[in-house]
Amino acid sequence: MDELELLKKDWKREDKVYPKLSYNEIYNMILRKSSSIVKWIFIISILEFVFWLFISFGLKASGFNLELEEMESNVGFIVISIFSYAVLAYFFYRFYINYKTINTTDNAKVLMENILKTRRTVKQYVFFNLLVLIIGVTYMMPYAIQSDEDSRVLLEAAQANGEMFKYYAGIAIVTLIGLVVAISVLLLFYWLIYGILLKRLNRNYFELKKLEV
Amino acid sequence: MDKALEHSFVELLEKHQNIVHKVCRLYTNNQDAHNDLFQEITIQLWKAYPKFRGDAKFSTWMYRVGLNTAITLYRKSKRSIKTQEFETVQFKIKSEPYDDTEEQQLKLLYKAVHQLNDIEKALVFLYLEDKNYNEISETLGISEVNARVKMNRVKKKLRTILNP
Repeated sequence: MDELELLKKDWKREDKVYPKLSYNEIYNMILRKSSSIVKWIFIISILEFVFWLFISFGLKASGFNLELEEMESNVGFIVISIFSYAVLAYFFYRFYINYKTINTTDNAKVLMENILKTRRTVKQYVFFNLLVLIIGVTYMMPYAIQSDEDSRVLLEAAQANGEMFKYYAGIAIVTLIGLVVAISVLLLFYWLIYGILLKRLNRNYFELKKLEV
Repeated sequence: MDKALEHSFVELLEKHQNIVHKVCRLYTNNQDAHNDLFQEITIQLWKAYPKFRGDAKFSTWMYRVGLNTAITLYRKSKRSIKTQEFETVQFKIKSEPYDDTEEQQLKLLYKAVHQLNDIEKALVFLYLEDKNYNEISETLGISEVNARVKMNRVKKKLRTILNP
């Protein structure tokens, strides 16, 4: 006999051997909180939005910025600010729409795709922010150097010694190292969190996709 | 939340709970994990229930949400680390008088099924539940032809596991 037919025969025979949960036991279950990956993706995504919003405010309120009142009226800076908030709104809207489309009654493949789409939106938002961070730091650096007393003293000393190249190269290297470290830590963090969270989903999605080739 | 809705849901689930137990049986290895997955499927069913229109059978609708939870949404909890062999402990095969060889074969079969991957288990589950290829393909989101092809591969794989 076909193995599965034998299994099927038994599968049907066993109807009564499962534990029988009472009405109250089931009722208590529906009062508990879900621990599904969708819930975790939602929580982590919201934290990511908050984190980048916080970074953006943090940069604006940071010391060197406050000293530079003219910075606030700098056209480039204003444009970047408005643009980044518009982008935040756009990404959040898309994230929300994607999240709403996650429906457990869809077929398995569509459900997986919708979850991955939600995740992808947040990933794009994070990459956008990293880009803004890099551009922002590069753009603001000359202003920061000019406004900072210590930097100015150092700059003047460098000018007097004819070591301008060394001075700028030093700043560029320190900035670059700072950015690389910050970005690496963030990427590692993402890789760990989503790697663990989405391992099973990715594996199963890949398995379904493989069937179509 | 609407009390009447709660009541109708719990009553329906109480009646059809075996479907959820069966999904848990295929996807977990011990009682703790079984309970954990049962809990999560129940929550997902409850969350989806307000949209359940009754145009599909409640049981059919349960297959979909149950499997989706098992293969997509469920995060294995720490408690679900393998502790004991599932078959021999929790659901002892009913003591009907069937011969030893068949019982032995069934034990090996269940063990082999547990070695399949999540998608293969879903195919086996739907097959055991007498779902046709059209329903299997709709539940998983693959074409009917691919469902057939994959099912044949799963049968072969099971045979290889059983007769290495």
